Amino acid sequence: MIYFSQLINQQVWDGFGSVVGKLEDVLIDATERKMPPIVALSLKKNVSKISYISAYQIASLWPSITLSVGIDRIKPYTPTGHELLLLDRVLDQQIVDTEGKRLVRVNDLQLARAGNQFVLTGVDVSGQGLLRRLGLEKIGSAMGKLFNRSPDTVVIPWEFVASIEHDDPLRLSVSQNKIVKMPPADIAAIVDELDRHTTTALLQGFTNETLADTLEESSPDLQMTILSNMSQERAADILEEMDPDEAADLLADLPNGTSEALLSLMEKDEALDVRTLLTYPEDTAGGIMTTEFAHVPNNISVQEAIDYLRKSEEAIEDEVMYYVHILDENQQLRGVVTLRDLVMANPASDLHQWEQIEQITVEPLTPQEEVAYFIAKYDLLSIPVIDPENNQMLGIVTVDDAIDVVLPTAWKKRLPRLF
Amino acid sequence: MKKLKIPGWIKRIGIYLAVLGPGIITASADNDAPGIATYSMAGSTYGYQFLSIIAIVTIGEIVIQEMAARMGVVTGKGAADLIRERFGVKVTAFAMFSLLIANLGTTVAQIAGIAAVAELFGVSRYIAAPIAAVLVSLAVLKGSYKHIEKVLLALSLFAVSYIITVLIINPPWGEIMKAVVIPNYSVDQAFIFAVLATIGTTITPWGIFYMQASIADKGVALKDYKYTKVDVTFGAAWGNIISAFIIISTAATLFVHGISVENAEQAAQALAPLAGGAAKVLFSAGLLGASLLAVSVLPLSTTYAFCEAFGFERGLNRTLKEAPVFYSIYAGIIGISVLIILIPGIPLFPIMWLSQIINAVLLPVLLVLVLKLSNNDHLMGKWKNKRFQNYLAIGLTVFISLVTMALLVVSILDLRG
Repeated sequence: MIYFSQLINQQVWDGFGSVVGKLEDVLIDATERKMPPIVALSLKKNVSKISYISAYQIASLWPSITLSVGIDRIKPYTPTGHELLLLDRVLDQQIVDTEGKRLVRVNDLQLARAGNQFVLTGVDVSGQGLLRRLGLEKIGSAMGKLFNRSPDTVVIPWEFVASIEHDDPLRLSVSQNKIVKMPPADIAAIVDELDRHTTTALLQGFTNETLADTLEESSPDLQMTILSNMSQERAADILEEMDPDEAADLLADLPNGTSEALLSLMEKDEALDVRTLLTYPEDTAGGIMTTEFAHVPNNISVQEAIDYLRKSEEAIEDEVMYYVHILDENQQLRGVVTLRDLVMANPASDLHQWEQIEQITVEPLTPQEEVAYFIAKYDLLSIPVIDPENNQMLGIVTVDDAIDVVLPTAWKKRLPRLF
Repeated sequence: MKKLKIPGWIKRIGIYLAVLGPGIITASADNDAPGIATYSMAGSTYGYQFLSIIAIVTIGEIVIQEMAARMGVVTGKGAADLIRERFGVKVTAFAMFSLLIANLGTTVAQIAGIAAVAELFGVSRYIAAPIAAVLVSLAVLKGSYKHIEKVLLALSLFAVSYIITVLIINPPWGEIMKAVVIPNYSVDQAFIFAVLATIGTTITPWGIFYMQASIADKGVALKDYKYTKVDVTFGAAWGNIISAFIIISTAATLFVHGISVENAEQAAQALAPLAGGAAKVLFSAGLLGASLLAVSVLPLSTTYAFCEAFGFERGLNRTLKEAPVFYSIYAGIIGISVLIILIPGIPLFPIMWLSQIINAVLLPVLLVLVLKLSNNDHLMGKWKNKRFQNYLAIGLTVFISLVTMALLVVSILDLRG
């Protein structure tokens, strides 16, 4: 295992023992995803006058950097544009660890010999790596012995590393592919720690759907930043992709003029849903409910219900379906059936046979703490919200929103960064 | 009755005041314990001639803060990030440790100020210092400091009383104007200390980091940068106007009687023309507000910067186990500061301003890095430093370094002689 920090500034010797120069940087082939090979060395105080020395002529890197030929036989390397300078572009930069789902800084780089090549195997983000850069790794090992813990060298394999340098669009697009595969909550947490420029560059390549998912998990500040950096049309599109209750929360925080403009750009139905939600106070059932829920008509069999759901536009759009709500022609709730029962039931039987015995519901103005309490008490995954005046079902409050009432979402506990 | 028409420019000022940019906050920090102590000492010892130093330092502050703000707008990142990414770990370690020491010195000064104010009212420092430290830490760690921030900011505005005092005294303005423009000082060790302390308390390393980080965090767009420039310039100017008035009032009331301020009691007397017996109260309100604000902000931002630069886990939403370095540094800064203040017999007032010399001595380290970054083509593009900014900043760096060396030379000569 060779560490890049041990190579920087080292003397480079040719095959006959003469000094060629000092190692300034190393080029790797950035197109290789798992273990990019070193393709060239860049030297300073270079006697040979060749900018990039081809890596095929490296005899060894450790304990000293020696070439396999004499100075006059050194072959230059011609860059193809797909290389990456390790010192200039990777060391000390922030990267996303897509496996650990966090933002880290590169403290050191790990290299290894693979056959007749040298390859980059991974990125060291540990404290031990830091000490090594400062030349203090002996202290780390000594402290480790003192406290009976082996110093941790945390190396992230290169294939899980996503670069976020906003002025390198090629690498950024590769990173975007890796990053969008992470859960939205993790993407949001990472984006929250990035500076504005990087955030904008990174999110450019996201699809509206991914962006909507990410926004749903983000802090209001981040939501504002992201939306303000795009056209109103796109912002409206993204709001449509979001759950109506999340969209309503976001719009509630915007100045009136802006939210009106965005609402008018949204599809009529979606806009109407959101407007309805906006009429309720934030800390009530109406304020945290969503208008998207799965429902079937009254007086049908189990099989008919399943067919109905499979064809219903609303059900297709509903991302989380816990229960199926039986509504009559007046939009009044007649029964609730769990998905489990729906699946296990005899297809020919009447749906009402399977409905829940107790119907627990709340009203739009019920305080959110009470809603959370009911969900906890009755072990529910969602609870219907009924309009007390006409008994119509308005929406549901899902368990994740109830948890948010009791346990603040991760970002709510953050203090503003001061540095 | 004619309707009162509010001119557009007044409306704009109203909006500006409502927003309170980082420029104002950094400027109000000039009126904390180290600031008031330094200016009171300088004014009462050297009289109006010290104003020329203030004039020079003001220009320096505006140039440097503007550079930090510009870097924040253009790169969108804080100074600690940039230093790490451009200069690597060794330089970052050097810069961070310098910052740590400088901020430790300033925190000691703030707590000294709080203790001194307590003793003005008969409360022992052994009670006041620990209690203040604990209360501030609790408020910060629980995240409720944002609530009291506005209160403390309002308290620190009490420094305006220095302006009113001066207007009441009506000092000889002709003489003052002359002193600003025509320097006339004798250079001895004590004078050099005073100059360094003044530089150190006005242009603080932490102020530079704070400015850039706040701007970067706000996400100010390039096109709005001109407003930020106004905020920075106005903030620096305003802060130093107050500093100048502190010097004038101490010079007019104390220097003329040959009283060189050596403790808080004497310093408070500068406000006697305005408040008479209540001078103590007025003095304390301003100092307490600014110092409590500083003690809330400074240790926290220091540990944030340190941990961010090295990639340690940080943030108040993490537990002690998850982020040991973060909390250790925070506790360490406050704990060590309190312990130092509790050393029996330690003179509080001199600590308040002598500690600022540390700021000044470590400033060139940071200035060199800031200069390199703000001249970097790749980073700043067309927004890199103009020539006059470079001359001024380099000039200031050289000046401080020379003064520091002069200090060493004079001290050695004193010791031998």
